[in-house]
Amino acid sequence: MLRRDGDPTGDPAQLPPPGDPGRWPWLQHLRRRPQLELAPWLTALEEGSVPAETDLLTVLAERVDSSSAPRLLAWWLQQDPPDPTLGERIGRWREASCAELLRQALMRAPQQAPLLLPLLGHQRDPADAALLSRLALAPGAAALRRAALEGLAVGLSSWPLPALRRTLTQLAADLDPQLAADAVDLLARLPQARALLLGLAAERLDPAVAARRQRRLHALPPSPLLLLVHGRSGGLIPDDLLALRDTLEQRRGASVRLLALTAAKGSPHAPLPPRPEGPEGATLVPLFLVPGGHVRHDLPAIADHWRQAGPLRRLPFLGAWRSWQQALTQEVQELARGAAAPPLLLHHPLDGALGQRYLQHLSRITGAGCRPASYSAPDPQELQLAIRSPVLALALAANRLTDSLPLELGPPLLQRPRLQRVLLEQLAALP
Amino acid sequence: MATLNKVEQAKASFCGLDLAPRLGELSAAGWESLDEATLTIHLKWLGIFFRPVTPGRFMLRLRLPNGVLNADQLDVLAEAIDRCGSHGSADITTRQNIQLRGLLLEDMPPLMAALERVGLTSRQSGHDNPRNVTGNPLAGIDPEEFIDTRPLVDRIQAAVLGPEGPRNLPRKFNVAVGGAPDSFLLHNDLAFLPAFNDGTLGFTVMVGGFFSAQRNELAIPLGLWLPADQLPAFTLAVLRHYERQGDRSNRNKTRLMYLIDAVGLDTYRAEVVESYGAVAGAAAALALVPHDGTHLVCRAPRDICGVHAQKQPGLHWVGLHVPMGRLHADSMTDLARLARTYGSGGLRLSESQNALIADVPSDRLEALLAEPLLRHFRVDPGPLAAEAVSCTGNRYCSFALIPTKSTAQAVVEELERRLEVPHGVRTHWTGCPNACGQPYMGAIGLMGAKARKDGAMVEAVKVFLGGSMAADPRLAELHDKGIPLSELPEALEQILVERFGARPRALPA
Repeated sequence: MLRRDGDPTGDPAQLPPPGDPGRWPWLQHLRRRPQLELAPWLTALEEGSVPAETDLLTVLAERVDSSSAPRLLAWWLQQDPPDPTLGERIGRWREASCAELLRQALMRAPQQAPLLLPLLGHQRDPADAALLSRLALAPGAAALRRAALEGLAVGLSSWPLPALRRTLTQLAADLDPQLAADAVDLLARLPQARALLLGLAAERLDPAVAARRQRRLHALPPSPLLLLVHGRSGGLIPDDLLALRDTLEQRRGASVRLLALTAAKGSPHAPLPPRPEGPEGATLVPLFLVPGGHVRHDLPAIADHWRQAGPLRRLPFLGAWRSWQQALTQEVQELARGAAAPPLLLHHPLDGALGQRYLQHLSRITGAGCRPASYSAPDPQELQLAIRSPVLALALAANRLTDSLPLELGPPLLQRPRLQRVLLEQLAALP
Repeated sequence: MATLNKVEQAKASFCGLDLAPRLGELSAAGWESLDEATLTIHLKWLGIFFRPVTPGRFMLRLRLPNGVLNADQLDVLAEAIDRCGSHGSADITTRQNIQLRGLLLEDMPPLMAALERVGLTSRQSGHDNPRNVTGNPLAGIDPEEFIDTRPLVDRIQAAVLGPEGPRNLPRKFNVAVGGAPDSFLLHNDLAFLPAFNDGTLGFTVMVGGFFSAQRNELAIPLGLWLPADQLPAFTLAVLRHYERQGDRSNRNKTRLMYLIDAVGLDTYRAEVVESYGAVAGAAAALALVPHDGTHLVCRAPRDICGVHAQKQPGLHWVGLHVPMGRLHADSMTDLARLARTYGSGGLRLSESQNALIADVPSDRLEALLAEPLLRHFRVDPGPLAAEAVSCTGNRYCSFALIPTKSTAQAVVEELERRLEVPHGVRTHWTGCPNACGQPYMGAIGLMGAKARKDGAMVEAVKVFLGGSMAADPRLAELHDKGIPLSELPEALEQILVERFGARPRALPA
């Protein structure tokens, strides 16, 4: 027996009409039925025998499954035009066949794209990233582009990251300030968000968007830095490195910790600090100038150790940074002016092909020759022979090598204004 | 054993709190792996709500015990919705709470960490859990208060979220603590109202209040009196009993009052006392004092808006009307700044969805009142606007039949243009019979509906009249079952004139 006033049997014909006081409780009972056969309802909708009211669709959309969801979506997409107020409810089910229906509808009725693109994004199929990105970037109606960006937003962690970064970075400078603002907000949610937002510094942003970028940056404090450096015997850390740490801490407003390697102690497996705040953790910066044993062997072990404390981002060793190499080149060029012979770069002896390739590269870009000299046991006699050329010792701070050099050969690299400035700038700008 | 309904089956499969350690992984990898039950049920144990009307844009409901928060906390919440752009907003709820809208699931792990850093949580704020515990919004600053409810509410929250607290109630559960003569709290499942026993101030226990589509009840006296320090353990005892004994077969008949009906008040009291003995010890249970339920709450809640002297000499609270409780990032940031600049940084939220800045010295009032934000969040709202309460409405809720907040805002503004209303009239707006906007508590209650007009179905409201939260509380009763929204200003104008002493404003010359 079918009843209009009590517990519904699920027969569409018994649904009280809109405006009937019994309709809302009837639908709530329907919604909570342990079992609900959807086929009669979908048939009734398809045949038009039941009005497609929002309250009914809300209930049905809650009860669909992987077989009925595509059918309900297909029905809605075939309406001319689809009721936009129903789209979110009906399009909430994530299913490959639903995604395909939405793609087909986009091709069939591109004018519906503003309605469909967020639903397509909600399906979170990486295959749709390119389409959403293209539509967000392409010149076109603002509503269409914003819908495409919303599609990217609701599927954010599903899309291939490099392409997503490029799209959002480009959109951040868009002439549509709302689009640009949303892009900045999405960049702020990606891994290494701070670096991405800092990268927008060179873009011409709308003032409101620039302010938004600043707000996002403010909420993404710089990560703590772990500076991996050469120490000196006895566990001493040179004053230049201590000063570098203090200055950096002041500039970044975040902690900077020196991890000193000494020949005797090897890797600094120091007690782990509390887990760094923020999802991106700390940044490990190897302030080594050549790819020696520390870089190749100690560094991975140290990174593994510190990852026990939380997320860790490991940067390449300092000697590999382009900005550092450029500064070194300028320093060498300055030294070379008026010199009788090309400058020499004194470095710790390196073995292996990697070390040799690096030295060749360094020699090529700086124009200086590279000469090994053991830092731990320098031979002053031998060095005197080379002093006919200007010399730069590849040592950031004082060590036994720089101690042994005549004063006129100049200070270690951190005491040279250009190199100190470049290193400070680079480290201060790290996310 | 009764058959578990489908929600109970999902809840029995695992506890939503178990998702907490996986949240980062789920959000980073996408949430394709979350099935429908996890997405729509279990995540609510973390305060995360999937919203069918905005798929992919989630809501986070906090817990703000006693409606207390500070400027730093508000800044964190403002930042969270600011990054959601035009999708981001926040609502002050009728439980002195805040819920944030427009969030992506990817936002949740960092937001949870940020909340923890500033001492906030969203834990167990939705679904079948003990909801935000409310108290006197003026606690600690109120010249009229009998007792400061803040430490009591804090301790109750600590107890219910602690290791002994419930994880799988049959239904949601509302707890509140009254501390002043206007602490109307009879809409809660468990309310502690200030009361004397033998000259000692403590609390009489009221149980079973709730509103729903099926039934509306005000809480009734349990017949017990407690000293203040027993409230947390007693709350735990009531919850644990309800967790064990509440019906799990029919969600429409599961709120606490149905259990009281089923076993009878005397049996229920005896069982709760036994449960209390298990929580606090037999001696504590024996020391419970029978009580007739008389209490010190004797009038309807005050309008908190305006400048008011605190109990601390030289300090004031400045109550601000937040239209329909809706906040946006910029207004939240500004509100935090004002609280920090002019007061102690302390803020309170009221059940009437308004906010107040606490601890403003006399010599800072003038400058505060000149702040631009107060042109929007007024200290002197009209008598209708000040106490207009609204549910979310159909912008964010699947079941709301009308856009509640925008309708309420427009109608209230229109009525205040037309009428001089001699005193505050509390209007409660709700979008559907679920009654989240508590229409039965309003002097005028309005509930979303459909009605026929000129042969077409249109958005409409049912109107309820006569609700009172004063000394003789009563629920509003149905007055009109369907007024189209387009006719609502005229209909309410007539009601206000005929029943509330309103007079048409003189037309400008």
